Amino acid sequence: MKRSGLWLVLGVLVLALSAVAQGPKVGGELVIAFGTDPESLDPNKITSAPAGMVLTHIAETLLTMTEELEVAPLLAESWEFSEDGLSLTLYLRKGVKFHDGTPFNAEAVKVNLERFRKATYAFLLFPRVQTIEVVDEYTVRLNLDKPFAPLVAHLTHNFVAMVSPKQIAELPEGQEIMAPVGTGPFKFDKWVRGEYVRIVRNDEYWGPKPYVDAVVFRVVPSDATRLVLLETGQVHAIMRVPPMDAPRVAATPGLEVVRVPSVRTIYIAFNYQKAPWTDVRVRQALNYAVDKEAIVKEILGGAGGVSDAPIMPLIFGYAPQKPYPYDPEKARKLLDEAGIPRGFKCTLYHPTGRYMMDAAIAEAVQAYLREVGIEAELITMEWAAYLAFLRKPVEEATFDMFMLGWGCVTLDADYGLFPLFHTSEWAPKGSNRSFYSNPVVDALLEQGRVTPDPEARKAIYAEAIRVLWEDAGWLFLHYEVQINAQSTKVKGLIHHPREYILAHRAWLE
Amino acid sequence: MLSYLVRRLLVAIPTLLGVTFIVFSIVRVLPGDPAQAMAGVHATQEYIEQVRKELGLDLPMHVQYARFLGGLLRGDLGRSLRTGLPVAEEVWTRFIPTLELTAASLFLTLILGITVGILSATKPYSLYDHASMFLSLAGLSMPVFWLGLMLMLLFSVRLGWFPAAGRGGLRHLVLPSVTLAASSVALVARFTRSTLLEVLRQEYITTARAKGVRESRAIFVHALRNALIPIVTIVGLRFGALLSGAVLTETVFAWPGVGRLVVDSVSARDYPVIQGAVLVIAACFVFINIAVDLLYGVINPRIRYD
Amino acid sequence: MGTLRRLIRHRLALFGAFVVLIFAVFAIFAPYIAPHDPYRFSLAKKLQPPSSLHPLGTDELGRDLLSRIIYGTRVSLMMALISVAIGLVVGVPIGALSGFYGGVFDLLVQRGVDILLAFPGILLAIVVVAILGPGLWNAMLAVGISFIPTYVRVVRGSVLELREKEFVEAARALGTGSLAIIGRHILPNCLAPIIVLSTLQLASAILWASGLGFLGLGAQPPTPEWGTMLGRSQVYIRAAPHVAIFPGLAIALAVLGFNLLGDGLRDALDPRLKGRF
Repeated sequence: MKRSGLWLVLGVLVLALSAVAQGPKVGGELVIAFGTDPESLDPNKITSAPAGMVLTHIAETLLTMTEELEVAPLLAESWEFSEDGLSLTLYLRKGVKFHDGTPFNAEAVKVNLERFRKATYAFLLFPRVQTIEVVDEYTVRLNLDKPFAPLVAHLTHNFVAMVSPKQIAELPEGQEIMAPVGTGPFKFDKWVRGEYVRIVRNDEYWGPKPYVDAVVFRVVPSDATRLVLLETGQVHAIMRVPPMDAPRVAATPGLEVVRVPSVRTIYIAFNYQKAPWTDVRVRQALNYAVDKEAIVKEILGGAGGVSDAPIMPLIFGYAPQKPYPYDPEKARKLLDEAGIPRGFKCTLYHPTGRYMMDAAIAEAVQAYLREVGIEAELITMEWAAYLAFLRKPVEEATFDMFMLGWGCVTLDADYGLFPLFHTSEWAPKGSNRSFYSNPVVDALLEQGRVTPDPEARKAIYAEAIRVLWEDAGWLFLHYEVQINAQSTKVKGLIHHPREYILAHRAWLE
Repeated sequence: MLSYLVRRLLVAIPTLLGVTFIVFSIVRVLPGDPAQAMAGVHATQEYIEQVRKELGLDLPMHVQYARFLGGLLRGDLGRSLRTGLPVAEEVWTRFIPTLELTAASLFLTLILGITVGILSATKPYSLYDHASMFLSLAGLSMPVFWLGLMLMLLFSVRLGWFPAAGRGGLRHLVLPSVTLAASSVALVARFTRSTLLEVLRQEYITTARAKGVRESRAIFVHALRNALIPIVTIVGLRFGALLSGAVLTETVFAWPGVGRLVVDSVSARDYPVIQGAVLVIAACFVFINIAVDLLYGVINPRIRYD
Repeated sequence: MGTLRRLIRHRLALFGAFVVLIFAVFAIFAPYIAPHDPYRFSLAKKLQPPSSLHPLGTDELGRDLLSRIIYGTRVSLMMALISVAIGLVVGVPIGALSGFYGGVFDLLVQRGVDILLAFPGILLAIVVVAILGPGLWNAMLAVGISFIPTYVRVVRGSVLELREKEFVEAARALGTGSLAIIGRHILPNCLAPIIVLSTLQLASAILWASGLGFLGLGAQPPTPEWGTMLGRSQVYIRAAPHVAIFPGLAIALAVLGFNLLGDGLRDALDPRLKGRF
């Protein structure tokens, strides 16, 4: 009996040990390379997805969007709208602390949201949210003036992140947060601008603790260099592999390619207030002039889909339209009708290294436009300068066209359309950098915000999209599919459609 | 000797001042508002006015220039528009990699260039001679950025012997330094060959007449020593070409040096950094030239500069 | 031995002249020589390797590489000629006046030259482009400005030598004005170094202009400029190396041609110039 008992214990031990050996290993420093330095890590100043990716590891939001694109609890455990839809009550998680020890509670949420009134992305919540009420220590109520259907989706937006009220209180006037103190699984460690951001594991995290000791987000603007770093083992994962290199990387032992749909739509916007872009025929003509299918197939290697709406198919409120076919003759006819002479000169601004093959796509568009007699001058700038250049008011805007992308991270049509097309969101205040203005669209988008019934909302957005499409609000291009790559030694890395690589549950073998 | 040094330094001062003046005017000669350029494309109107006050852009030119020089002497080159870090710091961190690259290239130039040149001179008009001289001519004509890409294609992409980009260990240094050194190696090889042949001819003839052909090896060594002077000078003078070529080489190989900083900041319209980086490169160049002049005076005792 | 050497160089110089001639023919007769329209593109045909239809393959937009290189000859030669012309037209008179009159003006000019030459190589051109903005014409101006100091120095040197010659004394004795002396007597004798320098500067101009193009600071797309084409090609170097190989080869050959020609001219016209530049 004793001997067989011994064998049993040994057997169990061996089994247990082997299970442990195959399980996640704790330790190590994970290195992820991406293309642009965060413009800010302050929730009030942050404006781009790469920055959001870094911030989301450090500072959490009240609600989150899973990989399956569903709203899920995070710092708020549950929530409910009032009957009239005019207030949202959030029941917060208990026992959560910020990295500096300050407790997370309703008061902290109030401080953060009040501060967010001045954020670049304040429109996510305000002015619909009128007051923020602290009901009790762990209950917060947001009171609205009108029903605001996208509110819950907006609370999952990574920019609405909670930082320590102590940090907010101690922040000098006019300065921004450079080292965010959040509640997240990682703590901020160091940021060498233009080079990397380093975060370390938060051992007091309220949820499952990360396995890796630290994560380094390395800034490497050149696609080719990023790929080389992955291939030589200097980084563990990279974002955005050039499409023509993807098959080779997939075939490399030790590496794997991850394809994930992205919520981002890439477009070329017109300066809607500047002639001749005020003429719908001209805008439509350019949509006929460019062969978007060829761009997606050849330049992106199929990693994307031709836009048939200003938002991509996974977004709530999406309504497919008939894509403008490639028809250079029709384009030329429309241009002639509108009185645009052959050889008409204009400017096309585009970023380089921010979006997949952005410079190559811009060159292709230039070539297509040339075929129909439009001479577009390509002008590019480094990303931060580019964004700032586009933040000018309408009187100072000299550009004709610019290329940009918009990631609809809330998966809701309001976020995909309102900031870009509503008259109240004109730059420099908002993100409507093309100065688009259409009273019909304005009314529809406003209605969509206050209509609680999802089916009714869908119909409203379908109409708005139809109008935008026929009005050729943009030179519609495509929506992206992300091509990321990582070493097979890394497990548990999440590649999210919001264009994030999340290291929360990752480990290194 | 000392008086030469003093005189040389004195002459360098107006040159350096002129360089600072040109750098100073970069921003002020731009089309558009210099305050806007220095505040950055991000800036609000308030911030632009703030920058205008800070940099004194509304003051008369000579006052501005005096303030600029004052700042330089204190080591204040302003702040980068992109990163917010002091320009001096940005430039300094990139300075070492460029120094590393340039030193490695200089080393290659000396070793390879002189060796090839000597070998050619010992067997003039042979197949080796013609081949190496033609290759040198090719090396002089090849654009450095193309050579870099070709070397990268062969040795990194196809053969995988060396990494294609970035700075790291010795292996990372090989391709960029070979690329950068190529034209200098070519020039030094040709020059070594012709100088050595000249000297050999003279020495050989004179001594051969006097002593007899058996001394050829001693003659050769003596000739080499004489030829070395102009050769080393040429190498020193190539420093400027190396700095210039570094700008392009660093871009090809993503080498984090000052040259690439200049290119990146031109693209980013980061004027404070453009000013700072260009100034440092030019100042370096001026001092190296002085040093080379002095070195030449030291190793060539026949020339007196007093 | 010396004669043999001169003969070899002579052959090399002829080879150089031949290469230059070929490129000149390409430039002038581009529309007749190029098999395709250099702007005609087709995404479906992108990055094809050399074939019978496209002898050098196609670029990232499916344009024929050979045609773009042939048309690129126009761009490069034009950039080179204009840059050198700028250097010449500004540098020669300044150098001549500086050498002839001497004095304070000469001192100032010398310092000015020193200052401009303190910016090594392509850096001065980059500074000018940083001010003016990237583009074909600005790049030409930038390279031209960087050539001015060399012309000033060379011409000044020649003028200093010739100034003391007898025919100048004679002309002065006859009462000829200084400017006339410079124009009619001195400059014509400087022709040799100016021609040699110009040929070699054409080689440098092609290198620097294409360098600016490579950095994205020179000619902009869709203009077929060799350097710009090379700059765009780096991304595709693994998948389609031919896009990187051929434009650079064109640059190398053109520069080689001008260098050989310049060398040969230097030997032929005045071997004394060897130490000068």
